[in-house]
Amino acid sequence: MATDNANAGGFGEVSRLRGVVFEYLSLGASVAGLVALGVLLVYVTIDAFDLANASPEWLLTYFLTLVVPFLAFCLYSANDPTVTRRALGALGGGLVAVAALFTAIEAFVAQIPRLSWQLAYLFVVATPVTAYLAYVGSRGRVGAVGFGLMGRLVGGAALGLAVGTLFLVFDPLVWFLAYTLGVVPAVALYAYGARRSAPRAVAAAIPVGLVGVVVAVVLRGVVTTYPSDLIIYAWTLAVPIAIAGWRVVADRGSRAAAVAAGGVPLAVAVAGGFLAGGFGVPGPTALIVLVTVGVPTAVYVHRAIDEGDGVVGLALPVLLVGGALVGALVVEAWGVPAPDPWLDAGYVTESPSSTAIEAGLYPAIVGSVIIIALVAVLSFVLGVGTSVFLEEYMPESGVLGSLTRLLQVNIANLAAIPSVVYGLLGLGLFANLLGFGLGTAVTASLTLSLLILPITIISAQEAIRSVPDDLRRGSDAMGATRWQTTKNVVLPEAFPGILTGTILALGRAIGETAPLLMIGAATTVFSAPDSLFSRFSAMPMQIYAWANFPQAEFRYGVVAAGVITLLIILIGMNGTAILLRNRAERGN
Amino acid sequence: MTDSTESPDLQRRSGLRRLKEGTYGGLFAACAAITLLTTVAIFVTLLSDAVVFFQEIPIAEFLTGTNWSPNPAGGGQAFGIIPLLIGTLVVTVTAAFIALPVGTLTAIYLSEYATPNARSILKPLLEILAGIPTVVYGYFALVYITPALKATLFPEMSTFNALSASIMVGIMTIPMVSSISEDAMSAVPDDLRQAGYGLGATKFEVSTGIVVPASISGIASSYILAISRAIGETMIVVVAMGAQARMPAVQEVAFGIPFVNPADVLLQSGMTITVAMVQIAGGDLTGGSIPYDSMFALGLTLFVVTLVMNVISDIIAQRYREEY
Repeated sequence: MATDNANAGGFGEVSRLRGVVFEYLSLGASVAGLVALGVLLVYVTIDAFDLANASPEWLLTYFLTLVVPFLAFCLYSANDPTVTRRALGALGGGLVAVAALFTAIEAFVAQIPRLSWQLAYLFVVATPVTAYLAYVGSRGRVGAVGFGLMGRLVGGAALGLAVGTLFLVFDPLVWFLAYTLGVVPAVALYAYGARRSAPRAVAAAIPVGLVGVVVAVVLRGVVTTYPSDLIIYAWTLAVPIAIAGWRVVADRGSRAAAVAAGGVPLAVAVAGGFLAGGFGVPGPTALIVLVTVGVPTAVYVHRAIDEGDGVVGLALPVLLVGGALVGALVVEAWGVPAPDPWLDAGYVTESPSSTAIEAGLYPAIVGSVIIIALVAVLSFVLGVGTSVFLEEYMPESGVLGSLTRLLQVNIANLAAIPSVVYGLLGLGLFANLLGFGLGTAVTASLTLSLLILPITIISAQEAIRSVPDDLRRGSDAMGATRWQTTKNVVLPEAFPGILTGTILALGRAIGETAPLLMIGAATTVFSAPDSLFSRFSAMPMQIYAWANFPQAEFRYGVVAAGVITLLIILIGMNGTAILLRNRAERGN
Repeated sequence: MTDSTESPDLQRRSGLRRLKEGTYGGLFAACAAITLLTTVAIFVTLLSDAVVFFQEIPIAEFLTGTNWSPNPAGGGQAFGIIPLLIGTLVVTVTAAFIALPVGTLTAIYLSEYATPNARSILKPLLEILAGIPTVVYGYFALVYITPALKATLFPEMSTFNALSASIMVGIMTIPMVSSISEDAMSAVPDDLRQAGYGLGATKFEVSTGIVVPASISGIASSYILAISRAIGETMIVVVAMGAQARMPAVQEVAFGIPFVNPADVLLQSGMTITVAMVQIAGGDLTGGSIPYDSMFALGLTLFVVTLVMNVISDIIAQRYREEY
């Protein structure tokens, strides 16, 4: 606004100083918390990956083999001279600035602990520039293809690991029987009915499936011989995923491509499952991960080649893996002293230990995945049910309207109750009164579901409210009942919003520690839980336990690695939620 | 729908359909009922064990006792909540000293000064502050903040202390203050700002003299919500503040005015209500003992305090809201 004009035609002068100072003060306040958090995150990353012991040569090697090719790829994809100039300017100018600043601070003020100027450059300049270029590059056609492929690889691996983890607590034999006797016949009937347009077959699918599941549960006690776990997973999980991939490709491409998209990943996954035992990895997990990574990748690659645009992007994973390999070779060949990261493959696959070197997070990760899966189901169902009831079924005025207001106020209050009090509810009600047991996964899931329920409901309500009323009226005018309108119009329209809100709420649940402490969850368990009623630990519980260890290796190493693992999972979940929201917004 | 007999029969199979409609409506109502049941269950669970506790320990003794030692080594339990209230107060007030000014300034910046572009970047980033798990904040306070403060400002600081825990609680609650206050400030109609400019006010004068007073109810309610969040915060204090329930040493300066040295409170370990609950939960959880019941009495205290603060914040927001 142009009101700060000094000396406007003899009205006297207004000092701008106060206003300018205030503006920068408030800007400083806005970023103060973020800067504090940023510095702490830098330090925890340094500790988790032991970067303080990384030599400048080691950093330079990987900068050249991994970061520079990635930046070049992004620049190539962005294809914009201004972006290139800006990025190079930031990288070069930042190098000089950071080095000068560090020298000045260390010369005149004090030594900065565990942060060399190379690391500062890495975090303050190189990482933001890389992120910026990745963002710009991903908008180009080549980058979009490359990042899409990377997304499928990473997402498939995460999903496969989560599914593999969940199967630890369920009886695979029941699943095998239910699948063979219930799901397969039902799906076959449905597919047959849909193809031959025989509505009777379609209608029979659900009853047949239900009967099959009941029969399976009965048979579980009778049948004694089963195929091996690997074959069960190949038949019940890998084959359907492969068929889904085949169908997707068959819809748009040639028959040979479709068979390849489904069959090659399936064959690789089965072979990998049999071979994995030799490397100490459980066969079924390897199979599930390979097939959930392979099929979406194959489908995506087919589509990219089919469209023939930006195919170069498919080289991105090769570029990254190649860069990492070359870097490792160079480091090995020249004997560059390398850091010894705490967060490595051993950390996420081994059990806790009293020695820092051997300590791992595996049982806690499994515990967290199981709890979150249950919480997701419970809070989604309850949250959607409640919000549909409040938004679609209850009037806003009259006697029932005041009941609606009571429910709203109650939900708002529930959202503000401290989490530790929910822990007491879980302890008194679920663990002791209802007898679900102290510190079991069921008790924890129920407690956490109630804890995040208000957040889920509030976000689901917002999503439902944002569905235009015209759509409802249109559906009503067609003679649809309230449930039909809800099911066919409101829920599909609001679904992305509901899903986003639920995922964000789950992010809250995965980091909650206080309720778990109150219901007596174990701080440390040495083997992964194998049923819903066994004692478990969760990632935040394990972090809490380790944070109390006095040894420096735990405080500055093992816990830091745990914190980074937890934050990576959180970022993954929130990133998914934001992607879903953006996609839904673009769709509208 | 019409019941007129001339119209074609639009409601064939209405019995089955009505049953289906009713079933779904009932299911949704049951989901909604669970939210009410949760409140009832929390209240009943807390109250039933708290009543047992108050039969053993009189309420007056609980509320006025200055010694908290539920599981002493040599016997002689004591359940006085005063040291815990002092610990909670110290953390809350110190955190408020950080969160309230910073949060308010952030809200002013976001609503008055920031360009739309800057706002779209800053707002999600600020939400991250509230999304980080609190146990991680506690770890930060214990492992990074305390050593840093010890090396620079307070060499006499103990490993577990109230100050670094409070700093982290403060940082965590910034987004609560800023987002609710900013909503209130954005709701101030532009006419008021333009009127201010018309009178020759500078941007600074408009922001502090018009926008802030006009949205003061929203700001106040955001303060109360943030403070209530800080009171209930558990993991940061459990990890970083230690667990020593103690009364601060009261000194006497001139004229008999009692005086507590802030360093004595802030740089030493302390115990909040939430820490006391977690500490008892680390022991026996099967029920039937007085410490077990005392947990529920503490939980009830916490529940009532946070509930009252939320209601107050609601009333302030409702009653003193300026209608434009």
